[in-house]
Amino acid sequence: MVEHDTQKDKYVTFKSGNEYFGLKIEYVNEIIVFQEITEIPESEDYIKGLINLRGKIIPVIDVRIRFKQEPFEYNDRTCIIVINFRDTVVGLIVEKIAEVVEIQEENILPSPTIGKADKSQNKYVYAIGKVGDAVKLLLDPDRLLNDEDLAVINQVETEEENGEGEE
Amino acid sequence: MAEDFNTDDMLGMYLFENSQLLENLQEIVLDQKDEEYFDEDSINEIFRAMHTIKGSSAIMMFDDITKVAHKLEDVFYYLRESHPQNVPHVELVTHVLDVADFISGELDKIQDGEEADGDSSQLIEKLDKFLAKIKGENGVDTTEEKPKAEVKKEAPAAQQFYIAPMASASSHFYRIYLEYYPEIELANVHAYKIVYALKEIAEDLMYSPEDIITDESSAQRIIDDGFKILLQSQSTEEELRTIIKPGYDIKKVDIYECTAAEFQQGFDGIGSEIRIDLNSSVEEIEAKAEAKIQKEQETKAPAPGDFVIQSKAPGQSKKLAKDKPRKAEKATFISVDISKMDMLMDLIGELVISESVVLQNPDLKVPGLKLDNFNKAAAQMSKISTDLQNVIMSMRMVPLTNTFQKMNRIVFDVSRKLGKDIEFEMIGETTEVDKNIIEHISDPLMHLVRNSVDHGIETKEERLAAGKSEKGKVTLSAKTESGKVWIGVQDDGAGLDRVKILAKARKNGLLDPTKPDSVYSDKEVYQFITLPGFSTNETVTEYSGRGVGMDVVVSNLQQIGGTLEIESTPGEGSIMYLKIPLTLAIIDGIVMKVGNQNFVIETGVVKEFVSVTEDMMIHDPSGVESVMIRGECYPVRRLGDWYHLSGYKTNVEEGMMVILEVEGRQICLFVDNLIGKQEIVVKPIPSYVKKVRGLSGCTQLGDGSIALILDPGGVSE
Repeated sequence: MVEHDTQKDKYVTFKSGNEYFGLKIEYVNEIIVFQEITEIPESEDYIKGLINLRGKIIPVIDVRIRFKQEPFEYNDRTCIIVINFRDTVVGLIVEKIAEVVEIQEENILPSPTIGKADKSQNKYVYAIGKVGDAVKLLLDPDRLLNDEDLAVINQVETEEENGEGEE
Repeated sequence: MAEDFNTDDMLGMYLFENSQLLENLQEIVLDQKDEEYFDEDSINEIFRAMHTIKGSSAIMMFDDITKVAHKLEDVFYYLRESHPQNVPHVELVTHVLDVADFISGELDKIQDGEEADGDSSQLIEKLDKFLAKIKGENGVDTTEEKPKAEVKKEAPAAQQFYIAPMASASSHFYRIYLEYYPEIELANVHAYKIVYALKEIAEDLMYSPEDIITDESSAQRIIDDGFKILLQSQSTEEELRTIIKPGYDIKKVDIYECTAAEFQQGFDGIGSEIRIDLNSSVEEIEAKAEAKIQKEQETKAPAPGDFVIQSKAPGQSKKLAKDKPRKAEKATFISVDISKMDMLMDLIGELVISESVVLQNPDLKVPGLKLDNFNKAAAQMSKISTDLQNVIMSMRMVPLTNTFQKMNRIVFDVSRKLGKDIEFEMIGETTEVDKNIIEHISDPLMHLVRNSVDHGIETKEERLAAGKSEKGKVTLSAKTESGKVWIGVQDDGAGLDRVKILAKARKNGLLDPTKPDSVYSDKEVYQFITLPGFSTNETVTEYSGRGVGMDVVVSNLQQIGGTLEIESTPGEGSIMYLKIPLTLAIIDGIVMKVGNQNFVIETGVVKEFVSVTEDMMIHDPSGVESVMIRGECYPVRRLGDWYHLSGYKTNVEEGMMVILEVEGRQICLFVDNLIGKQEIVVKPIPSYVKKVRGLSGCTQLGDGSIALILDPGGVSE
C-alpha cells in the first residue's frame, strides 16, 4: 500500500458509543449512506450481512456489536465506512462519521495497558491519538476484522502455502 | 493472415503451434508407454513433431531447442529407418518426455518474455548415449544401415528440412517457380508469405532458397534466381493458382505437376525437366547449376538430421499400426485471449442484471399501464440475451482431455519413481467443463491422483500377497449428471483403512472420547482424511504423506462450489469423486422469499411446487417433519427454521412446498412464497464471511437487492 503524502497522518474518525475512533485514511475506500442489508444466516452476530455496492457484493459489520456494546437503531445518520484491508473489502456500520483529522506522530501514544482492562474493547485499539484536548482511539483494522479468527486463518494460509510449496 | 506478417505474430504462432505439437507428442507417448515399442505411426508422428519444432525453432533462432529437437529427431530417425529390436522402451519414453519438458519449459520462458536460456547440453549428451546404446545393441542393424547411408549420400538435402511425404494416393506433387519483379523490396518476405499460405494445404513442402527468414541476402537471390517450391498437396493445380497468382510482386508463376519420385529427389532432380521445358528461363538454368553445386556439397558425409527419409513402400504392411479412429473433420478455430473472454462474460453478466432491472422496474407496476408492446419487445430481448449467454457459455466449455492427459503423465512419473507398475485408464475425458473450473480442479486432481498412486496402490509384493494382479490400475473418469460434473479418481488398491484413520483421529482428539468407534459411519470416517494435518502414511515420501493435500483439495473445491466424496472398499480400492458445478457464472434459478430474505435455488433440482394442507403433514415423535403428497412421503425442511430467520410463515397452508430432487433424494423445502424464475449471475459470498451450510453464493436481483443462492446438496443433507 503506497502511502501518499496527502494521506499521511490523516485519520477518518467516527463515533461509536461515547468514544471517538480513528482509522488510517489509507484503509478507507469510501463512506456511503446506510442501505438495506441482506442478512446471512448463521454468521457471527456482528456480521450484519451483505450489501450491494454498485454491483459488488460486500459484507458489512456493526462496529458497536463488534465492540460488544449495546446495539443501536440504524437511522438516516448511520453510515457505512467501506474499508479495504489486504484486499478484503468490508463495510463498517458506524453511528456517526465525525471528521478527517490529522494526527502527528508525536501525538500518538501507545494504548494504555493497565492491568487487565476491558480486553473486549482494547484489543482493537493499538494507540491513542491526541487532537487538541480530545482523544481518538486508533483502530487496528487487522484486529477489527479478524481477531480471534486470525489464528485460524493464518494457520490455514500457512498450510496452503506449504501444500503448494510441496509441488 | 499472411498479410499481417511480423515477428510478434510469428512468435505467437510459433509458441502456439509448438505447444500444440508438444501436447500431441505427450499424448502419443503416454498412450503407448505401456507397449513394448512405439508403433510405426507414432514413430512417424514423433519424428514429424520434432522435425517441425526443430525447423521453426531454427527460424526463430532458439538454438537450444533446435539442438535438442534435432537430437531426438536423430533417435527417431534411427528407430524409423532401422527398426532396431530390443529398444529399452521405458527409457525411450523418459527421454521423449524429458525433451518435451525441456522444450515446453523453454517455450514458457519465451512466452513470459524471458531468454530461453535453458542448457541443452546434458540432455543432448543423454540422448547421444541412448542413441549409441540402441545402435550398439542392434549389431545386425548397423550392417543393414550401410546401403541406407549411401541412399542418404545421394540425397540432395543439404541444409534442407525435408520430410518424406505421407503415402497418400490422392496427393499431387508440384514444382512451383516464382519470378519476382526485381524492384520488389524484401522479396524474401514476399516469398515467405507464399510459403505461409501454402502451409495450409501442404502435406509436404520445401523451398529454395531455404533461409528466407534468417538471411536478408536471400531477397536478392530470389530476385535473381526465382523462388522454387516443391509441394505435396491434395489440392489441384487450379486451387494452387488461386493461392499463388501474379500480382504487384510476382511476375510469373509456373506450376508443374511431377511424380513422387521426382519430388523426393529435391531440387536437383529438376534439371532434366528443365531441358524439355521450352519456357525455361535463364534463371531456371542457373537454378539447375545451383542445384548441382548443392549436389557436390553432398559428397560430404551428411550431417545427422539432414536426411531424406523414404516412405515405406505402399505394399509393405504397417503391422504395428493400431487402428486409430479417423480424426474428425477439422473445424476452423481462432484463439482468443482468455482475459477478453472473461471480460465478455462479465459484461454479459452485467447485461443480465440490468435486463432484469429494466424488466422488473417498479415504474412498470403502476396500475393502468398498457404494456403489450413493451412486453413483446421485452420477450424478444430476453430471448436474445439468453442466446447470448448460451453462446458465451459454450465458448467457455473445454473438454477435460488435456487435464486428464496431464494426470496420465503424473501417474507415469510417480509410479516409476515408486517402482509400481500401474495402468492408467481414462473414461469420458471429452466431457466439457467451464474453463474457469478446469483451472481450479487441476491441482486437486493432481493431489488425488498422486495419492492414489502413492497410498492407494500397494507395492507389488503386497498386491501379489493379496491375490491381485501385480499391475495396479488407476482410473480417471468424468461424467455429467444433474448439472454437475463428476470426476472420479479410482484405484484398485487396498482401500482406506478405517481402523487406522479412527486411531489417528482419536489421537488427534477429533472423536468424541465417550463414543465408541462404531458410531462413526464410513463416510464420516473417510471425511477425516480431508482435515489439515491428517495423514496415516507413516513415512513421508516425495509425493505425499505430509498431511497437506487433502485439505487443500477440499478448500480448492469449495471455492468453486464443489465437494469431495470418498468411497472405499477394503481390499478393493477406493474412489474419490469430485463433484463440481458445470458452470459458475449464470444459472437459471427460482427466486423464493422466506421472511424478508430472498433465496434462489437452481431450476434443475426443482421437481415441483405444491401447496399443502395441514392434514398432509406428518410429525414423528422425534420432531422430524414430513409431508405426504400423492401417496409419497417427503421429509420437510423449513428454511426459516433452519436458518433461524425472523418473520417467516409457520402455517404450511400459507406457504409453499418446493420439492427438490438432489442426487436421488427428494426433500421438501418450505418457503413463504415464490417470486419467480430468473437468470441469475452467481457471485461468491465474500470470503470474509465464513462458509454457511447450504449456501453456495449470492446474487443481485433485478431491484438491486441481494439474494442468497442455496446449494441443493447442502440443503438436503
